[in-house]
Amino acid sequence: MRKATTEGQRDVLATTIVVLAMLAAMQIASAYVPDYIMPAPMSVLLATKDLLLSDKMHILVTLARLTGAVAFSMFVGIVIGGAMGTIGLIRPVLRAIIVIDTGIPALSWMLVAVFWFRDPEMRIFFILSVILLPFYALNVYEGIRALPRDLVEMVESFRPSRWQVLYYLVIPHILPYIFLTTKSVIGYAIRMAVFAELIASAIGIGSRMNLAQSTFRIDQVFAWTFLLVILNIALQAAVSAVEKVALKWRPEVKVR
Amino acid sequence: MTNGKLIDVRHARKRFNDFIAVDDLSFGVDGGEIVALLGRTGAGKSTVLNLLMGTIKADSGKITVAGHDPYSEFGALRGRIAVSFQTDRLLPWRSAIENAELGLLILGAGKTEARTRAQQWLERVKLAGAENKYVHELSGGMRQRVSLARALAVDPAILFLDESFSQLDHVTSRALRADFHRIAREFGKTCVLVTHRIDDALELADRALILTQGARIVHAEDITATARSDPSELKAIHDRIAAAMGDAEDVEQETTYEVS
Repeated sequence: MRKATTEGQRDVLATTIVVLAMLAAMQIASAYVPDYIMPAPMSVLLATKDLLLSDKMHILVTLARLTGAVAFSMFVGIVIGGAMGTIGLIRPVLRAIIVIDTGIPALSWMLVAVFWFRDPEMRIFFILSVILLPFYALNVYEGIRALPRDLVEMVESFRPSRWQVLYYLVIPHILPYIFLTTKSVIGYAIRMAVFAELIASAIGIGSRMNLAQSTFRIDQVFAWTFLLVILNIALQAAVSAVEKVALKWRPEVKVR
Repeated sequence: MTNGKLIDVRHARKRFNDFIAVDDLSFGVDGGEIVALLGRTGAGKSTVLNLLMGTIKADSGKITVAGHDPYSEFGALRGRIAVSFQTDRLLPWRSAIENAELGLLILGAGKTEARTRAQQWLERVKLAGAENKYVHELSGGMRQRVSLARALAVDPAILFLDESFSQLDHVTSRALRADFHRIAREFGKTCVLVTHRIDDALELADRALILTQGARIVHAEDITATARSDPSELKAIHDRIAAAMGDAEDVEQETTYEVS
């Protein structure tokens, strides 16, 4: 326990040092270049405070879009990955679809979404879903493939139904894969959400960043960036907290 | 049941490509009897067990387990057979008691009933107090005890033991065998014990069938309670079994048995 605390403290210390070094670099740079190129940390801080007071709704909209798209991708990805792992007949078809999907650039989906959907919400939901879904599907499929044969035989020795195999064996086994995927895609999902909002919506952090850029408010661009980093850290922490509870059975192994 | 036998195997054959795993095997097991299938690695013991459990189909012959063909009537043996494997095969995300109640829940027992029965079986295998421990918090012997409790909790008519004691150290294995023997006798369980260890058969079985390659029965030995209580008789049985298994080293080995 003490060892874990020491490591946690070390992580916080390292992060603090990096942040302080970045702030110092910003401060020094801002003294030599105009404000519209590099603002001072204090003006970014003030811009952040202003945005938090005035643009709370945009943060919540982006957060809601993210949550909705991640939840939908997770659910459909689990279903597709589960089907890939358990139904041999449709596995090659689903795999082909997923592999083709992963090869399509995010920008293509964004432009296509603008043509296909009039509703900005549908556009963003579609963009995020088609980008995130393959991650879940492939990882769940890999999770099912990694099911230990001896555990399958043990459960089958009780002659269970297909649903019981899923409930008692498959779902708990793929849970760590789902958490891993979620933690891996959060940062990417935030970037994609902001990018999609920038192209396809008039509300949300992406659209506000677009506005800040077009009105030469670089302090606000930095402030939004800062808020996005905080959002990423907060979401990662939230997922880790849920993971800790859901996977409490898993021993923490440290490699020396 | 056929001829009053709970398990009846007649002229069973199984081959995998050119390899004959089971060649004309016939034997029967009475209700309440513990039969050991003894043989060296590659004798075909596991194939016989898989045939009995219905996970593979015999090429020819007739196999009846509790009155059903275990392969073609796979579902009919639901709740009537259980298996204790060589390794514990516990689900790591479930605690000891959650693992012990797994079979009961699959068989449709209510949560409260499953929990109560799992608790009782954990106590019987001497694991009271360890109910809420996760798998990684249990020793190898404790895990095997949970595995045994999981199999016994469903109250199966027939229990298959697949080298269930062979992964444990001598002392732990001996203690677990003694507990299993007590429970099997108390509840009149019919058991088929697959093992390569003569000790397992001598301490647990009423009858040992010695298999060689192709699961051919080359020797059968009755192990009565009287024989079990007489060390010299037990030694003689041991030597005959070892000789039948073709294990010369084992015959020469000085073996002493404690009378249980």
